Amino acid sequence: MRVVIAEDLALLREGLVALLRENEIDVVAQVEDGPGLLRAIAGHRPDLAIVDVRLPPTFSDEGLRAAIEARRRQPKLGVLVLSQYVETAYANELIGENTAGIGYLLKERIGDVRAFLDALQRVAAGGTVLDRQVVTQLLAARDGARNALSSLTGREREVLELMAEGRSNTAIAESMFVTPGAVEKHITNIFAKLDLAACDDDHRRVLAVLVYLRVAR
Amino acid sequence: MPTLAAGLSVGEYVRSVMFRLAALIAVLLSAIWALDGQGYFWPAWAWLGLGVPLMLDRTASWAWRHPPGAVRRVACVWALVSVAAVILILTWLLTWLLAGVQTFWPAWALLGLGTAGSAYSLFALHDRVLVAHGRRALRARVEALTRARHQAVDAQAAELRRIERDLHDGAQARLVALTMQLGRAELRVEREPDLRRLIHDAQREAHRAIAELRDLARGIVPPLLADRGLLAAVESLAARYGLGTSIRSDTQRRLAPAIERAAYFVIAEALTNTAKHASATNSWVQLSDQPPGLVVVVGDDGRGGADPEGSGLAGLRARVEALDGSLRVLSPAGQGTVLEVGIPCA
Repeated sequence: MRVVIAEDLALLREGLVALLRENEIDVVAQVEDGPGLLRAIAGHRPDLAIVDVRLPPTFSDEGLRAAIEARRRQPKLGVLVLSQYVETAYANELIGENTAGIGYLLKERIGDVRAFLDALQRVAAGGTVLDRQVVTQLLAARDGARNALSSLTGREREVLELMAEGRSNTAIAESMFVTPGAVEKHITNIFAKLDLAACDDDHRRVLAVLVYLRVAR
Repeated sequence: MPTLAAGLSVGEYVRSVMFRLAALIAVLLSAIWALDGQGYFWPAWAWLGLGVPLMLDRTASWAWRHPPGAVRRVACVWALVSVAAVILILTWLLTWLLAGVQTFWPAWALLGLGTAGSAYSLFALHDRVLVAHGRRALRARVEALTRARHQAVDAQAAELRRIERDLHDGAQARLVALTMQLGRAELRVEREPDLRRLIHDAQREAHRAIAELRDLARGIVPPLLADRGLLAAVESLAARYGLGTSIRSDTQRRLAPAIERAAYFVIAEALTNTAKHASATNSWVQLSDQPPGLVVVVGDDGRGGADPEGSGLAGLRARVEALDGSLRVLSPAGQGTVLEVGIPCA
């Protein structure tokens, strides 16, 4: 996998590059701002761009705008946006009409290296990965969802959040220290309570949750 | 006296009758002089005598046009002084023309009148002059303080933004880098469960610190507020409360950071109160940015009865008043709560 990184803080950029290289991911370019990102994706044609939301010169949402522009120019490009805070407004803008190959995670999720690498693979392969906080916020924002949400147990809610990160049943089971069978049962319950058609495919599952959360907003 | 200036019809009538009477007398006396064989033109004195009330009337109505109080009193004094001066000068003119008196005898009297008038003016108006001076000084002081306060508020907003950026690029970034390193370390000790658990616990602590710093940073400068402005931040805020709050705004314009911040935290506090205490079924936020400034209305149809002097609302009031704004709370028991804030914007 060939990756471009857009991050203005050297400390984080270098840490991320070291982590990716250790795990045999090819970092083809490192840039510090939005225009740099657009030049790098045009020059290197990477599979994935990892972009910090806050980039110079404005230090506001420059990275997000650049990521959206990069996707417009190269629809096949996977884009993983990293931030130190989660805003559902940004998630919605990023997702736009096309959910394929989109990720939005808090930066500290990188610490869970396996899950992070897994997320990179999925986004590069056209999957959707959303931070569990996006799910929490979207759920809180939806009137109807609040009732449905209150009917979920704590475990089911946890599974829902991990599902939004696009994780497989096995990954969810590992992370929660339960058996895959238990996870499957939770998922069946969640889909029943939220009145969603069940499906096994990880990506389609995220979409179903996402569609549910975004409807009637 | 008022009849002179106010021009009441009775006053005007009396005046015109008197003028005609005076003119008639003057003509009659002149005719008598002419018939009497002329010689010394004595009617001139009568003319002078008849002219005095006329002059008094004119100057008095001029003096009365001034605002009541010291200024009008001074004007009256000068009216009298000028009438007296004119009488003196005309009298001298007549004695010179008719009797050939050469010396300008009214000089000392005129000097006395002028001195007396000036002395009285000074006496009557000195406090007024001083007050005007004091008022100008006070106005300059208020302007300086207002400017200083605006600068302080703007400087505070800039400083907060700087602190937030320092946190973001400093402590928060370092902790994120730490979790990356811990993550890498964790992968290398997969076969040593004790060590792995230790690293895992360290990760968890780092995550907690990151979360706490994030909350802190959000309290200093909410990211969406800084990036996208008030409306976007309020929409996100309202969504977070999940009250189904309806939001209306007539503006997308970015305002001064200090104003956006104040408005944001007012709305946040109001929505918190609604969520906690109001038991409301509907809530709404209205933003209006029309001259002279931003108006924010936050309302709900809950149980009302909020204490306008309570500590939460007092804090909001202080925040708004620091920007020359005002805050009103309407919260009759059982009839919902409406909070209205106005902040002037340039």
